[in-house]
Amino acid sequence: MPNHYIGVDIGSLTVKVVLIDDDLKIIGQGKERAGYSGRTIAQKLIAEVLAKSGLTTQNVGATVATGYGRVTFSADREVSEITCQAKGISHLFPSARTVIDIGGQDSKVIKLFPNGKVADFTMNDKCAAGTGRFLEVMASALEVDWQEISELVSASKKPTKISSFCTVFAESEIISQVSAGELKADILAGVCDSVASRVASMSRRTGLEPDIVFTGGVAHNDGVVKALAKQLDFSLLISQEPVITAALGAALIAREIKK
Amino acid sequence: MNEVREKQSNYRPLSSKKALQKTMGRYYALTNYHRYWGKIFRRPLAWVTSGAPVELLRAFNIHSAYPEQYAAIYSARNATVALCEVSEAAGYSQDLCSYARSNIGGVLRPDLAPLGGMPKPNLLVACNNICGTVLKWYEVLARHFKVPLLVLDTPFLPHEFTAQAKAYVLEQLISMANDLEKITGCPFDEKKLAAEMKRSREITSLWIETRQYCQNSPSPLNAPDLFINMAPIVVLRGSKAGIEYYRKLRDEVKQRAALAQGAIEDERIRLVWDNIAIWPQLFSFYKMFSEKGACFITDTYSGGWAVEHAPGTPMESLAATYTEIFLNRSPKYRANQLIKLIEDYKANGFVMHSNRSCKPYSLVQEVIRKEVMRETGVPGLMIEADMADPRAYAEEPVRNRVQAFLETFL
Ligand code: SF4
Repeated sequence: MPNHYIGVDIGSLTVKVVLIDDDLKIIGQGKERAGYSGRTIAQKLIAEVLAKSGLTTQNVGATVATGYGRVTFSADREVSEITCQAKGISHLFPSARTVIDIGGQDSKVIKLFPNGKVADFTMNDKCAAGTGRFLEVMASALEVDWQEISELVSASKKPTKISSFCTVFAESEIISQVSAGELKADILAGVCDSVASRVASMSRRTGLEPDIVFTGGVAHNDGVVKALAKQLDFSLLISQEPVITAALGAALIAREIKK
Repeated sequence: MNEVREKQSNYRPLSSKKALQKTMGRYYALTNYHRYWGKIFRRPLAWVTSGAPVELLRAFNIHSAYPEQYAAIYSARNATVALCEVSEAAGYSQDLCSYARSNIGGVLRPDLAPLGGMPKPNLLVACNNICGTVLKWYEVLARHFKVPLLVLDTPFLPHEFTAQAKAYVLEQLISMANDLEKITGCPFDEKKLAAEMKRSREITSLWIETRQYCQNSPSPLNAPDLFINMAPIVVLRGSKAGIEYYRKLRDEVKQRAALAQGAIEDERIRLVWDNIAIWPQLFSFYKMFSEKGACFITDTYSGGWAVEHAPGTPMESLAATYTEIFLNRSPKYRANQLIKLIEDYKANGFVMHSNRSCKPYSLVQEVIRKEVMRETGVPGLMIEADMADPRAYAEEPVRNRVQAFLETFL
């Protein structure tokens, strides 16, 4: 019976796949670096997720693709990340009115109507400041593993100040802070503050209304979460798996198509 | 969720297109061969800003050419980048308006400019009712060509047009007339000015009438139609050729409206456009909307020429008409203007082009967007691009936003 639905989010950095059943329960998921061909990775992930649940494509009622690679992927429909993100988040957090999403290549703020529909949105693109990419470049300049960032930042007592928004200039700023003898933890905390302040200013522009949900890969990073909550002066809700919320939304839309 | 129809919209072409090409072709030929006939007919050539009081110039038999108009053509013909690079190499900042940059590029390297660039001017007339950029831009041109520059300074109107401001603009118009008498050797004739203004009013009312048919559903015109068809009202205001053309266009649009023929197939979403067209993407950009059944039924940009002349003597009317244009007014005024368009045209939403080039048009848009959304309850999208310089256009992010915006109507 084709009573399962797939959402696939082909982002700039990672591909995410979510499989749900007719009762909207997540029964499988997968995630992998997008690499050169996000589409191939997506196909591979879908096959893996289905196999793990003992299902085949025969069991899939509909597939919806989202993310930057959505256009090249043949799905039943391609839907923008804004709509998918809103769908996924309002499913997980019906009380959400604002979504802050920091992904690999862009960050966005989405305002939701009480019924979960998109009321307004702002996106930051054309520039990597305030995105996962920015964090990644800075972490690699400091030779810190992505996973270590949260732990290191929590040890910081006196975050440095990164004044450049430009990723390239910020990287050289960091290198001079390193040679000036600043602690790695403090510099990293400065990097998190910088991402947070960029996103906070965008959020304020869009207008903040609680509950606020923070999602996207960067929501895994405690350093940014704390910095953002502090700058916005709001507490932030974070799902257990913030990386897959857009893919979940896509899967939910796939189910609606079929109905 | 409704099914999104992916069907490609068939664009309904206007049969008046031929007449438009002929009218504009004649104008460009006349303008570009000015050196052969200007002296004989004692008609100097002026380069003027789009907001200059051309009726006054026409009263002195001056032929006007518009650097902004040419710059739009440069852009539609993909020459802007090369021309901007010329002016950037000459030291002009990338932050300068791309009309100014490509015009200056065309002056320095006419061989790179479509139509062979613009013919040399005998004088320059700039009015800062549209922006402050034109003042410095025209000063550069005046130094380059060593020709006189006449400036009309229209004070920004945070509220109403005060008596003081009126007197200030009027005085300048009178002194401009004096200067023009000296430059052309032609005496100022108020009757001739009145006649020019009468013809100009006639064109304006035809343009207003044509646009009003777009209040019909489906709308007989979409934004690209409006942008293409505004050319004559910009350059041929006050001319018989212009009046003739707009009669034709009006008749066709009126007929379309009567037959309920839409500009796009299957109009489902009615949108208002704010800011200058994205010339290098004129069709591909608007197609993202039309293929989803979204039609731009009206806009603030080409609507800038659909404003009735102010009352008073010819000079008083000129002073008020050219000072009261929307770019010279408060964000509050502009928000109200947009709100009224949304109501009158029964629009479901609006799209603002945050135009990197045009600061006066773009800087206040976010404030206006919020206010209009609050007042009307319809969604408004902001797109970042440039009217002429394709280097400021990022296709994927734009497509992303447009798609997300259109999905909110489902
Ligand atoms: S800045 Fe704007 S108003 Fe001024 S010339 Fe450029 S496009 Fe026109």
